[in-house]
Amino acid sequence: MRNQHDTRAHRRAHGRTALLGAGLLLLGGCGDLEILNTNAPTVETLTGSPTREVLALAATGIFSGSFNDVGTEIQFYALYGREGYNLLGNDPRETGEQIRGPADPTGRNAAIWTGQYGAIRTINTYLEALPNATGLSTAEVRASQGFAKTLKAWHLHRLAVRTGEFGIPIDVDRPITADPAPFVSFSAAMEAASSLMNEAHADLLAGGGSFPFAMAPGYAGFGTPATFAQFNRALASKILVHRATFVGCQPCWEQAAAALGQSFVTDQGLPGSLATGVLYQFSSAAGEPANPVSEPLANQRLWVHPSIVTGAQSRPNGTPDLRLTTKVVDAGRTTSIEGLVGQFKPILYNPPGNPAAANPGAPIPWIGNEELLLLRAEVRWNTGNRQGAIDDLNRIREHAGGLAPAALTAGSSNDAFVTELLYNRLYSLMWAQGTRWIDARRYDRLNTIPVDRPGDTVFPSMIVPANECVARGLGAPCSPL
Amino acid sequence: MRVSLVGVLRTFLLSLLAAAVPLAGGLEAQERQITGRVTAADTGQPLPGADVSVVGYPASGTVLSNAEGRFTIRIPAGEVRIRVNLFAYQATEVTVSPQQNVADVSLARDVFRLSDVVVTGQVTTIDRRSATTAIAYVSGEELGRVSSPTVLNSLAGRITGVNLQSNSGAPGGGIQMQVRGNSTILGGFDPLFVVDGVIYSNASIPSGRGFTNAAASATLEADPVNRIADLNPADIASIEVLKGAAASSIYGSKASNGVVVITTTRGQAGQARANITQRFGAFTPLRTLEERRWTVDEAVARYGEAARPFFDGNASPYFDQYDQVYGNRGLSHETLADVSGGTERTRYFVSGSWKRDEGIEFGTYAARQGLRLNVDQDLGGGLDLKVSSAFVRNANNRGWNNNCNNFGCHGYAMAYIPSFVDLERRNPDGSFPAPTVGVQSNPVQLTELGVNEEETLRFTGGLTLGWDAWATSTQRLRVVAGGGLDTFDQRNEVWTPNELFFERPQALPGEAVESGGRSLFYNWNVNAVHSYFADGWSSNTSAGIQYEDRRLNTFRIRTQNLLPGQRNVNQGTNITAVENLQEERTFALYAQEEIRLLSDRLLVQAGIRAERSSVNGDIDKFYIFPKASGSYRFPDLLGADSELKLRVAYGETGNQPIFGQKFTNLGTPQLGGRQGITVSTTSGAPDVEPERLKEWEAGVDGEMRNGRINWELTGFRRTTTNLLLSRTPAPSSGFTSQVFNGGEIQNQGVEVAVGYAPIQTASTTWTNRVTFTRYTSEVVDLAGLPAFFPAGSGFGNLGRTRIEEGKSITQIIGFGLGEDGTRDSQLRQLGNSAPDFRMGFSSDLFVGRFSLNAVMDWQQGGSVINLTKFLQDAAQTTADWGEPSWEERYQRNFLVGSIAPYIEDATFLKLREVGVNYELSPELVQAFRLGARSVRMGITGRNLLMFTEYSGLDPEVSNFGSLAIRGNLDIAPHPPTRSFFFNLAVGF
Repeated sequence: MRNQHDTRAHRRAHGRTALLGAGLLLLGGCGDLEILNTNAPTVETLTGSPTREVLALAATGIFSGSFNDVGTEIQFYALYGREGYNLLGNDPRETGEQIRGPADPTGRNAAIWTGQYGAIRTINTYLEALPNATGLSTAEVRASQGFAKTLKAWHLHRLAVRTGEFGIPIDVDRPITADPAPFVSFSAAMEAASSLMNEAHADLLAGGGSFPFAMAPGYAGFGTPATFAQFNRALASKILVHRATFVGCQPCWEQAAAALGQSFVTDQGLPGSLATGVLYQFSSAAGEPANPVSEPLANQRLWVHPSIVTGAQSRPNGTPDLRLTTKVVDAGRTTSIEGLVGQFKPILYNPPGNPAAANPGAPIPWIGNEELLLLRAEVRWNTGNRQGAIDDLNRIREHAGGLAPAALTAGSSNDAFVTELLYNRLYSLMWAQGTRWIDARRYDRLNTIPVDRPGDTVFPSMIVPANECVARGLGAPCSPL
Repeated sequence: MRVSLVGVLRTFLLSLLAAAVPLAGGLEAQERQITGRVTAADTGQPLPGADVSVVGYPASGTVLSNAEGRFTIRIPAGEVRIRVNLFAYQATEVTVSPQQNVADVSLARDVFRLSDVVVTGQVTTIDRRSATTAIAYVSGEELGRVSSPTVLNSLAGRITGVNLQSNSGAPGGGIQMQVRGNSTILGGFDPLFVVDGVIYSNASIPSGRGFTNAAASATLEADPVNRIADLNPADIASIEVLKGAAASSIYGSKASNGVVVITTTRGQAGQARANITQRFGAFTPLRTLEERRWTVDEAVARYGEAARPFFDGNASPYFDQYDQVYGNRGLSHETLADVSGGTERTRYFVSGSWKRDEGIEFGTYAARQGLRLNVDQDLGGGLDLKVSSAFVRNANNRGWNNNCNNFGCHGYAMAYIPSFVDLERRNPDGSFPAPTVGVQSNPVQLTELGVNEEETLRFTGGLTLGWDAWATSTQRLRVVAGGGLDTFDQRNEVWTPNELFFERPQALPGEAVESGGRSLFYNWNVNAVHSYFADGWSSNTSAGIQYEDRRLNTFRIRTQNLLPGQRNVNQGTNITAVENLQEERTFALYAQEEIRLLSDRLLVQAGIRAERSSVNGDIDKFYIFPKASGSYRFPDLLGADSELKLRVAYGETGNQPIFGQKFTNLGTPQLGGRQGITVSTTSGAPDVEPERLKEWEAGVDGEMRNGRINWELTGFRRTTTNLLLSRTPAPSSGFTSQVFNGGEIQNQGVEVAVGYAPIQTASTTWTNRVTFTRYTSEVVDLAGLPAFFPAGSGFGNLGRTRIEEGKSITQIIGFGLGEDGTRDSQLRQLGNSAPDFRMGFSSDLFVGRFSLNAVMDWQQGGSVINLTKFLQDAAQTTADWGEPSWEERYQRNFLVGSIAPYIEDATFLKLREVGVNYELSPELVQAFRLGARSVRMGITGRNLLMFTEYSGLDPEVSNFGSLAIRGNLDIAPHPPTRSFFFNLAVGF
């Protein structure tokens, strides 16, 4: 209040104005407090009775989930199995904790877990929605189930291999508020993956002529339920071989032989048919997953372990195994961190003929005929067909490595066969799936993995992440089994 | 519920208004008029703009003294007391006898500003002497003395109950304010800022810099400015920090982090006055890091033969790389101008500012231009209008600092580039030679070629319409309606061209990021205040409604694989875009009562607020926030002109859920050109509620010798329950987090502020102030959650903040060392990012025309995680390499695996402000014949000295920027700076 020289009439007029203004504010402002989330679709889209279109979107999501951790597996397993080193030097853990330990349950050695279980959660939600879906035929539901279960079984297998003797939880389709799923043993987890793979196979065979969704790139030749079933059998045979070697499942050898028989393995059309298979098809397009291990030659990050260069066998003409020369190149420089030296760069994922550049769209083989022939050799050796095994190995040696036949006979020792098998597996599959580390674990040969510095170690498996421990009331690291 | 409450309130307000109109203006018969003059006690100069009112007689209203200090006021018959209030002077009452027609009043300067008023409600205030809660108060005069990046920087060392910490030394701000400890983990952590009644955004919108240099957490580690930096400190008349819940409860569920109420300067009636201040100065590093000196043999052993040529012709080359990057000493300047004046009915204040701080890192700066217009208009009929408006352009380039993973940041890269490399060396064509040792990066090249620009345009405007609806000799009704909006548009452009050495080895070299945000806040309120005066007591009743809407829309467009030389985001092959919209609307009703009893000695306040908000799970539910407080004054208990006050307060406030916490989103990955959907790993909480803070506060305040000695002693204990927490389900569930309400945090502490003016004469004044703040924050209950790491807690085993029941919320854990030198088997507490206490000292000395002022800021305790040193040790570039201190760290960390050697004490003492000024004599001023009224010149400095045992750059550091729980993580931050300015201020 400043001065009061106005008449009562003025005051009244002002009063009415103020009153009117206040009323307007009241009406105009107490608007709706319902604010929707415009940033992303919410989960209600996928539950209930989703349409064919929504399920097709979810299928793309499931395909996308299968890419989770592929790059991490290659990089970390390469460190653990000394396929190579990360010498970028921006994080001392890469040349420290990750190969020396002790493994940090909150750090990198606890990776490759959430991404896998996240993918499984999407698959479980999809599998639950399928029976209530609108606009799908019975065969299409079966085909969709076969597809989803195949990928779920593969996620379980990847988790089981990652964690080894610690085991993993598998019965994870439960409400977020429920107790965590119990851990099951390595062997039980792999068995569960096998039987889910078989269920998926049965679904696929009843799945009619096509899937009710578009396939992701990388499935050329495997895009119908019937051909996808061959992919399913290829993965199933790999799981069975892992069961036979990791956890001593002897009947698995015969089952693996049967699965291989239904897969796309072939010794015809070599060497061209070596590449037949399913790929993680990366892309250089924006928003798409890019190849996580493709980098220009000048990059200081990824280096091939020198033992891979020195260990390569020679071809009859004296030059090294073709698989080395096409996958590894001398960088023409060295780098060293904490006593670890880099001189050779992996060029598997660079543009052919132009290793200087990266190729974010380079595919990474998921499972192909080259690996299947190696699996068949392994299976044949262990099911009494030793000559067949040697023939398969020699096919790989000749067509992939340009090498002379191996000095193996049906009478060679098991040890000699394994050594030759693992050599070929390493050079055929290096920098694609961590084969050196996994194979050494399968055959108790961790001691053959080179250790460059005193105090460094070779991990027998990755550990259980801290969050998984604490959710069970355990300290980390833990062994919940 | 919603309809009925609003309905009731509407009816109440309308009937109040309806009743008021016919009654308004009822005047008492027995009135007379007196005149008087208000002057300054020490100089005798007339004081315009003083508020003159009659104690206990609202009908007289309030009049202002004019340019000559004169006033005229109607008073009732008989003896009355006249009260005169003027900003920066002691409130003074004089008795006017029935015969007297003239009342002259002289006012003493109020050096400690004890007579200034602080808010008690949306539209109610009280003088600080009577306040029932501890409210930190700083006058604009103190804030404006020394040039500062943001107004918050100027508060350091001056107020209690607040922990202010800069995130880095980069130009333009980036400072976090925490009031009375951490009371949230996942909720909003910023105090609420209110400028002239308008809710003011203090958002931090990160640039895209973290993407181009591959920071681990690209948005958190981008070292953003928080937008309080847009406020021109020179425009501010006062800042009040409402710390306790009883004080801040008037802002309900946005107040648990404290409320900062900022009032800008307004015009005073009288002749137009103008002030122009010109500042010139420079910034220099307060500290940089030494690096290891190499012999040729050491270098060759470490880096191979490539290192040998660096030693040709120089056996011990050493280049101060920090100086090569942070060696900019460009001229900084600031121009401030304002004009104010007006008549009794119309008063205005116009100000303009133009400022540019040159950063120490080449290419960096912070610039701000602003224009403000504040107008007060008396509309007659008891109506008055206040308008505030400000437009600001704020731009900066904060360079390339903090964590990154491709060496596209200076400190990180320099940890790996040995000191024998001359970063400034050039090829004959002016380009930089490719790195041959260390890492693929050259920070000097980055400062020249990289772009990291930010520009913000902001408008803030508010309007308050007051109406003295009704006044009698014992009662008064005032209705106040206010509203305002605050909007800004921030744009960031980041470009790392593909010729940069760290870009060349990338899979997709060359990157540009265009990002930013648009914010719009608006709020309005309608309030009614009824005052009643009786013999020996009086009451003040207020009620009102409020509505607030806060929107923030952020976006980011990122391109990789740019064409050479191109920087537009459409010139690369890989373009990704992100957009995020969030909005929150809150509707609130409140009522409060204030009663003064026993001749003003006892003051009791109580209030209640009910509000509902769009971010809660149940948007129709009203959440209730009560408060109650009281104070009792004992005049002359400690001698003449003394006063002792006891006060106690209880209040409740809240902290709203963050937008989106109630939704479970789907992920939308893209594959093969198709969009897919996945179940996201974050599960929402459809029933989410605000956090609730309950606080008891008690204090003993007092003053002696007429305020020359004064103190404020406060203890508080607050409990926050219903915390927003994130459960980490077993990740095998496919979810990594789920938000829910639960748990409890307890904070307690003491605050002491003491003021002492040993000398106070007409020519000399010396005032001193000490502030002390100590508080602890403990996690009492986590609702069954196991200990966990919050966002931005740190890296792996490299020292992290862990939230754990029964522990301090700011504990830093890691693997320690056992007695035998081996590593502990379990993680344990190794430090605490919160200090033991903060203390501030400020001193102002005025001798004749000279003035000297200084502020010291002391932090005792707390820990910093020195990962810069960890990186240098890993790269073997630390200055003490090979010495026992290095050997010890190497043994303990790199061989044994303990982070303990890198967790250091964060104690520091900083000389925050120093100013020396001289006011020219009036004769000299007149001799210039410029028409100037006054001329003052001086030299000021900020952060001139730092005393600390910390071995890194600055113990005041936060790699992850502002966070609910700062981890004090030091990962190659921008070095701290000091600044010097020469100031010339001319008044007309």
